Amino acid sequence: MVRKSRGVITALGLLVAVLVLAEAKTLWAQSLDELHKAAVKEGGTLNFYATLAQINAEIVLPLFEKRFPGLKVNHVDATSDKLVARAVSEARGGRILGDVFQTPLENVLQMHDQGLLLEVKLPESAAYPEGLKGSFWVASDLQFFVAAWNTTLVKKEEEPKSFEDFAHPRWKNRLIAEPRDLEMVLAFAKYKFKSDEKSIDLWKKIALNNIEFHKGHSQLAELLVAGQAAACLTCYSHHFPIRIKKGAPLNYMLSEGVASINGTAVFKNAPHPNSAMLYARWVASLEGQKAMAQGGRNPAHPKVEPTDKTRTEKIYFITAADLKEFPKYEKIWKEIFKLR
Amino acid sequence: MSTVALPRAAKAGSYIPRDPALLVPLLGAGVLIYLAVLPLFMLVMGSFQAEVAPREFVYTLKNYQAAYASEYTYSTFKNSLIFASGSAALTFILGTLLAWLTERTNTPLRGIFVPIAVVPLILPGVLESIAWIFLLSPKFGYLNVWLKDLFGLQTLPFNVFSLPGMIWVHSVGQVPLAFLMMVAAFKSMDPSLEESAMMSGANTWQTFRRVTFRLLIPTAGSVLLILFVRTLESFETPALIGIPARLYVYTSEIFLAFNEYPPDYGRGGALAVGLLVLSALGVWLYTRSTKESKKFQTVTGKAFRPRQFDLGAWRWAGLGFLIVYFVFVVLLPFLVLLWASFLPFFAPPSWDGMQKLSLENYRYLAGFRPFWDAMKNSIILATLAATAAMSITSLVAWIVYKSRLPGSWILDFLAFVPITVPGIVLGMALILLYVAFPIPIYGTIWVLLIAYVTRFIPYGMRAASGSILQIHSELEEAAAASGASWWETFRRVTLPLLRPGLVAGWIYICIVSFREFSTSVLLATGESRVLSILLFTMFEQGQVTVVAAIGVLMIATLLSIVALFYKLTGRVGLQT
Repeated sequence: MVRKSRGVITALGLLVAVLVLAEAKTLWAQSLDELHKAAVKEGGTLNFYATLAQINAEIVLPLFEKRFPGLKVNHVDATSDKLVARAVSEARGGRILGDVFQTPLENVLQMHDQGLLLEVKLPESAAYPEGLKGSFWVASDLQFFVAAWNTTLVKKEEEPKSFEDFAHPRWKNRLIAEPRDLEMVLAFAKYKFKSDEKSIDLWKKIALNNIEFHKGHSQLAELLVAGQAAACLTCYSHHFPIRIKKGAPLNYMLSEGVASINGTAVFKNAPHPNSAMLYARWVASLEGQKAMAQGGRNPAHPKVEPTDKTRTEKIYFITAADLKEFPKYEKIWKEIFKLR
Repeated sequence: MSTVALPRAAKAGSYIPRDPALLVPLLGAGVLIYLAVLPLFMLVMGSFQAEVAPREFVYTLKNYQAAYASEYTYSTFKNSLIFASGSAALTFILGTLLAWLTERTNTPLRGIFVPIAVVPLILPGVLESIAWIFLLSPKFGYLNVWLKDLFGLQTLPFNVFSLPGMIWVHSVGQVPLAFLMMVAAFKSMDPSLEESAMMSGANTWQTFRRVTFRLLIPTAGSVLLILFVRTLESFETPALIGIPARLYVYTSEIFLAFNEYPPDYGRGGALAVGLLVLSALGVWLYTRSTKESKKFQTVTGKAFRPRQFDLGAWRWAGLGFLIVYFVFVVLLPFLVLLWASFLPFFAPPSWDGMQKLSLENYRYLAGFRPFWDAMKNSIILATLAATAAMSITSLVAWIVYKSRLPGSWILDFLAFVPITVPGIVLGMALILLYVAFPIPIYGTIWVLLIAYVTRFIPYGMRAASGSILQIHSELEEAAAASGASWWETFRRVTLPLLRPGLVAGWIYICIVSFREFSTSVLLATGESRVLSILLFTMFEQGQVTVVAAIGVLMIATLLSIVALFYKLTGRVGLQT
C-alpha cells in the first residue's frame, strides 16, 4: 500500500513537474508570441539603428520578418558614430525614433551615457557569460580585427604570420587601415604584450610604413580587392569568406586578432516597445544567433559556431571594462598615426 | 509692364475685403518666410547654444571660438579657398574654351558637341566622384594604371585623393554650367566690334585678345564668382574624396561636427553661419556685377549673327580638344561605371576581368528592397518638389511682376534667399527646426520635400518669371474686362500661357531634386533614404560594384527625364 501510494506520489510528482515544465515552455513561447501580436498591433514596424552591413542584413532581417509575419524592419544603417549622432540629435529635439540600437559596444555605451537606453534583463541573456552582457545590453555578435591581404599583390613567401611582420619596410606604402581602430593599440597593450610601451613601439614601427586610412571596414575590404593596397591591418575577418567565395584574390591571417563586441540594446521610450523587445530577445536567442551566423556574422552565443572560419587562434578580447580606457588609447592611436 | 486689375480693397478700412486675391500675396509671403527664413533663424539660434549636459543648453559665444579659432581653422580656410578658386578657374577655362570653339569658331563638327557638353549635368555629383575614384585612384585607378603602362612609368601619375584631384573632379562636373553661361555670352556679343578690329588690320589672335576677350571680362567675372560660390557650397567631392584624403573644407567640417560624438551642433552651426555669410556675400556681389554689366551689354535690337573666327589649320587642334574632352571627361566616367556594374568585385578591365562579367549586380538589385524604396522616394520627391516649387513660384512671380502691390519686391527677395543657403547648411537648419517640430515629419520624406522645395524655389522663380514677363497684360485685362475673377483669369489665361516655361522649370527641378545630395545627407534616414544617399552609404560600406549598377540605373532614369524634357520643350540645353 505504502509502495503503491509512493508510486502514485512519484507519478503525481512527475506529472506536476512535466506540467510545470510544459507550462513554463508555453509561457515562454506565449510571451514571444504575445510580444509578436503586440508588436503587430503597435504598427508592425521596427526602427533598427544598426551597423549590420547590408550583405549581412539582407540575410538576417528577412529571417526575422519571416519568423514574425506582419513585422517590417526599417533598417537605419550608417557608420556607428553617425548612428549615435543621429539618435542624440533626435533626442535633443525631444524625439525618440529608434527602437533597437545595435552597434559596437563602445557606441552602445555612449548611447547609455546620453540616457537613451532602457535598463532591461532579457531572459535570453542568461545563456551568455559575464562580459558579454550588461544591465542594458547583450552581445549580438563578435568581430575580429585581423590582417588581410590581396593575393595578387602579396607573394606567398611574404604572407604575414603575426602583426610584428608589418613593421618590416617591405610594407612601405602598401598598407591600409581604419582610422578609428584604436582597439588594436589597446588590445596589444593589455593582452598581447601586457605593456603599453611595447604596443606603442610596434605600432610606431608600423606607422613608419605610411599607412593609408579609409573609413568603414567594408570599404577597406573592397579597396583591398581592388588593389588599393597590398594588405589591410584592421579588417574584419567576417568580410572575407564571402568575398573569397566570389573569387576575390584575398586571404586573411587567423593566427592572432583582436575581438570586440557588438551589442544590442533597446531605446528608452521606443516608439515600438514590443517590436524592440521582440527583436532584442530573438537576436539573443539560439535561433537569432544562428540567423546571425547564417548572415555571415560571428555569433556571441557560446553555443553557436560561426558558419565560416572567422575566429582567430589567439584572441585578444576587448571587454566592456576596457571601453573606459578608450579615450586614453584613442589619443595614443591618433598620435602614432597623426590622425584627427 | 502694365498691371492687371487686382481687386482693390475699396474704401480702405471700412470692411475686410471679400476677394481672396489680397490674401494671396500674404499667403505667398507666409510660405516663403516659413520655408526660407525660419530654418535660418533656427540655425543662428543654434550656433549660440552649447550643450552642458545631455539635452541642457546655455547661450554662449564659445562655438564661434571653436569654429574659427581652433588649430584647424587655418587649414580648413586654406583648403576651402584653394578648392573653390582652383575649381572656379579650371571650370571657367574649360567651359569658355568649349563655348568658344563650338559657338564662335569654324572647328569641324562643332555642332554635335553642343548637346554633348551639357550631358554631364545629369550625372549626380556623388557618381561623378565615384567614377573618378575608379579612374584616378592612386593605386588601382584605371586611367592611372593605363598611363603607367603606356609610358612605362615607375609610379602611378595621378592621385585623386588630393586637392588637385578634388579640383579636377568637381570642375568636370561643373563645366556644363560654365559652358552654358559662356555660350549665352558669346551668342549675345555684337560682332560689329570684332569686325571693326579685323577691318583695321588685326589678325584673329589680336582680335580675340583685344576685343572679344575684353568684351567678356564683365561676364567672366560674374561667372567665376558664381562658380567659386557653388564650389564652396558643394559637398559631394569633399565627402567622397576630401574626407578619405583628410582634406577638410567648410562643408565637410560641418558634416563632421554633426557626426562626431557627441554631435557638436554649436560648432557646426557656427561654421554653417560663416559659410552662409560667405555665400550670401558672393551671391550679392554676383547680382551686383550682373546688374552693372548690363550697362555695357552688347545685346541690342539689331539682328545679328555672331561672327565666326577662322582658325585655319588650328581648327583641327580645336576638334582634337573637343574629342579628347568628350572621350575623357564625358564618356569615360559613364563607361567606367557601366563596366564596374557588371563585375562581382572591383577589377581593372582585362581579359581576366571579362570572364567575370555578369548581370549579378542587377539581379541583386532587383531583389534588394532598400534600392526600390530609395528609387520610389527619389521619384516621389522629385515629382512633388518640382510641382510644389513651380506652383509656389508661378504664383509668387505673378504677384511680383503683374500686380503692383506695394512691397511685392519683398516676395521677390524672399524667393531669392534660398540661393544663398548652401545645401548642407539648409540640411542642418532643417534638422534643428523639425526635430522638435510639433508635427512629426522629421525622419520622413516630407522633411526632404520641404528641403527640396526650399532649395529650388529660386530656380522655379527664374523659370516662372521669365515666362510671366513675356505675357502681355492685354490678354489678362481682356479676361478681366469680360468679367472673369482674379482666380479665373489666373487659371484660364495666365496659367495656360505660362505652361511651356513652367514645364521647363518643372523638369529642371525634377532633375536637380533627383540628384540632390548635400541637403539629403543630413536629413534622409532608413525609411526616407533617397538614391544619392543609398549610393553614398553603400559606397562607404564598400559595395562598389553594386553602387556602380545603381549609378547606371540612376543615369538611365535621369536620361528618360531629359528625353521627356526634349520632347516637351524641343529645346537644346537646360536653363541656367
